[in-house]
Amino acid sequence: MPKLRHIAIAAEDPEAMAEFYKKAFDFVEVGRPNGVLADGVFLSDGTLNMAILKFKTDQLGKGMDYRGIHHFGVLVEDVEEFSKKLESLGARHYIDQGHGGHQAGYFEKKFYGPEGILFDIAEHGWAGAEPLPAPVKEAAE
Amino acid sequence: MAKLRHIAIAAKDPDAMAEFYCKAFDFKIVRSNDGPLAYGHHLSDGTIDLAILRFKSDQIGKGMDYTGLHHFGILVENVDEAAKRVEALGGTHYMDQTNPERTGGFEVKFYGPEGVLFDVAEHPWTGTEPLPVPAKEAAE
Repeated sequence: MPKLRHIAIAAEDPEAMAEFYKKAFDFVEVGRPNGVLADGVFLSDGTLNMAILKFKTDQLGKGMDYRGIHHFGVLVEDVEEFSKKLESLGARHYIDQGHGGHQAGYFEKKFYGPEGILFDIAEHGWAGAEPLPAPVKEAAE
Repeated sequence: MAKLRHIAIAAKDPDAMAEFYCKAFDFKIVRSNDGPLAYGHHLSDGTIDLAILRFKSDQIGKGMDYTGLHHFGILVENVDEAAKRVEALGGTHYMDQTNPERTGGFEVKFYGPEGVLFDVAEHPWTGTEPLPVPAKEAAE
């Protein structure tokens, strides 16, 4: 089964916000993304990647001053297969990661689901996030 | 370590949205509820609760017609200790769960930096993984 493994927050001051969650809940810093879409801090609770980001574009259509939870990400076994499934269910493809191929630790494809909710799918996992559990058959071998 | 175990989405049509995520990712509906705060469905991927809710009040100051990601929730060992830490760090207490029979949901809500709303609970959200057993305890 796919797993929720990423949550992103739009922040004005990602560093200060990350400090808060590190101190409050012992989340661990696992990266400092600095890309064309956003800058910020990646935290991990050992299972999920929590990205606290200052976005550089208005991905949600809520304005550049939007602050709050921004999107989430689902780890899947096969991005292409899930892309087809999502589009058949009415989701709208937004963007793919970069033009230079896979960039480990980041989203791979972004979609808008019902009511314009933005989410990522990835098959390589976000920085600091747990991988998918091994399938039962494989685990038994 | 505390664990992120809950993500809540504000939706106009929680039924349709929940169906989408169940079909898309095989998430399971583990609870449906029409309570004083919201109507909607809680989905689980086996680890995290994804709540798809039509809220009945404006908890995040973005208006009643806001749709989108709303808040998240963190499972902790001890809510009172976590609350003290959060408040010492500048978090603002918003509300407590008032229904004594409601377990498996939020227990306390706080506003963190930049007004971001989050829940804290020490009982796992329904259908989610509990906190890992500490290494020392597991070895015993």
